[in-house]
Amino acid sequence: MLWMAVLVLCLSMTAGSAQTATLKLEAQLLWGTNDGTSPNPKHKPVGPEIRKKLKELPLKWTNYFEENRKSFDVAEGGANKVSLSDRCEVEVRNLGGNKIEVTHFGKGEKVVKQTQTLPKGELLVLGGNAPNSTAWLVVLKHAE
Amino acid sequence: MAEISHSSADDEALVREAQQGGLDAFEELVSRHRDRIYGRAYSMVRNEEEAMDLSQEAWVKGWQRLAQFQRESSFATWMTRIVINLCLDHLRKQKRQRSESLDALNEESGGVERLMPVLTVNPTERLERGELRQRIDSALNQLSHEHRTALVLHEFEEMEYKEIARVMGCSIGTVMSRLFYARRKLAVILADLKKSEAT
Amino acid sequence: MENDAHLKLQAFVDGELPEAEARVVASQLARDADAAALIAEMKFTRHALAGHEKAVRVPESRDFYWSKIRRQIEASEVERPAPVAIPWHAKLRRFLAPATAVAVVAIAGLLATQPVGVVGGTETSLSDSGAFTYRDFSSGTTLVWLSYPAEETLDDED
Repeated sequence: MLWMAVLVLCLSMTAGSAQTATLKLEAQLLWGTNDGTSPNPKHKPVGPEIRKKLKELPLKWTNYFEENRKSFDVAEGGANKVSLSDRCEVEVRNLGGNKIEVTHFGKGEKVVKQTQTLPKGELLVLGGNAPNSTAWLVVLKHAE
Repeated sequence: MAEISHSSADDEALVREAQQGGLDAFEELVSRHRDRIYGRAYSMVRNEEEAMDLSQEAWVKGWQRLAQFQRESSFATWMTRIVINLCLDHLRKQKRQRSESLDALNEESGGVERLMPVLTVNPTERLERGELRQRIDSALNQLSHEHRTALVLHEFEEMEYKEIARVMGCSIGTVMSRLFYARRKLAVILADLKKSEAT
Repeated sequence: MENDAHLKLQAFVDGELPEAEARVVASQLARDADAAALIAEMKFTRHALAGHEKAVRVPESRDFYWSKIRRQIEASEVERPAPVAIPWHAKLRRFLAPATAVAVVAIAGLLATQPVGVVGGTETSLSDSGAFTYRDFSSGTTLVWLSYPAEETLDDED
């Protein structure tokens, strides 16, 4: 009985420490355009917080539409790969202390690897040009 | 050849060209309005080096946001709004770094100038224009950032209360209060300058 | 006089009072010497300021002042502002080549002054040689801009 209690205590402590080191992240695939509406009715305008931060960046687009969004956790020392579209995936490795290593895959091939700290509320934006003067963006946020 | 056409072009034409990516046209706009933009930054932060950095940052932001310029005001006014916003951000950051001083506590209540008797003699009458400018500048230098900003935006940028409240991120009541005590303090400083000159 | 009364007088001087209230204040001035004195003080302060802002000039030459702005534009530039007028495609093409050249020079300059692949405490390793990193410290946002996939359609992304 005592043995069982110690085991439960150890398990709960392990679970507790893993929780504190786990990063809660949110990835969004966005489409940047100067058009007022998205040609795809499934797309919705990006939220005001992200929109405001994108406005601060040296980007020329006035409107951003959300194509996909995924929330996911990454335990310390671990990694998680999320697919945002057929062609776009990001893998995030939790290096501890809010430090992450983000690898972006385009059509299955590694395009860029970014290592940085991402405190709560901060954003990492990966992006590139798309046809007709539009852009694709992956916004990674350390969720509250 | 291109330089000649730029220097003779009006702002409207230069903005159009800059919006198409013409950096030379934008350089001409910078050249035309740099004193105004730098001057507004200096009037708010009262530091030559900071004003220089902020005014240059404003031009960079202006370039980056050029597509958003809708011609609702003149280009110079639009640029002035950008530099004002940058200066306000800069002053807010500075304020966060400062410990709360007595000045800050007196910010809305007006401090000692609240108790000063109303001046009955104009302290600036019969002053030569250049001297008056110099004296106004010295007096503005002695105001807190918040009081000076309210005065600069109202008197020099001719903004209405509600517009000042919007850019300063405060209520109209706070703007009125800041403006009132800024004026009172300014009157007192100008009177003191007159007195010290007389003695 | 109370604080609210002071602010009302100021709003009167600034023309910010509704017409009906302004009429009331104007009639009050004839009977209230303190209010009239305060109004006079505010008016001469306003008058002193009007048109008497000290003229300040940039304490640097035109070229020197512009060179820093140009460097910052080139360093942070992802693309030049979008063309406003139609036709856009011809003009965009015309400016794309010099813009790319400018960006390459800017990136080369950046790499020459900072450790390779390190910008503002972040580290980027690139399979995409045309990419660069921009950090906006005020909003806590890092931007990594890639040349991939330059001209492919995203129409079938979703």
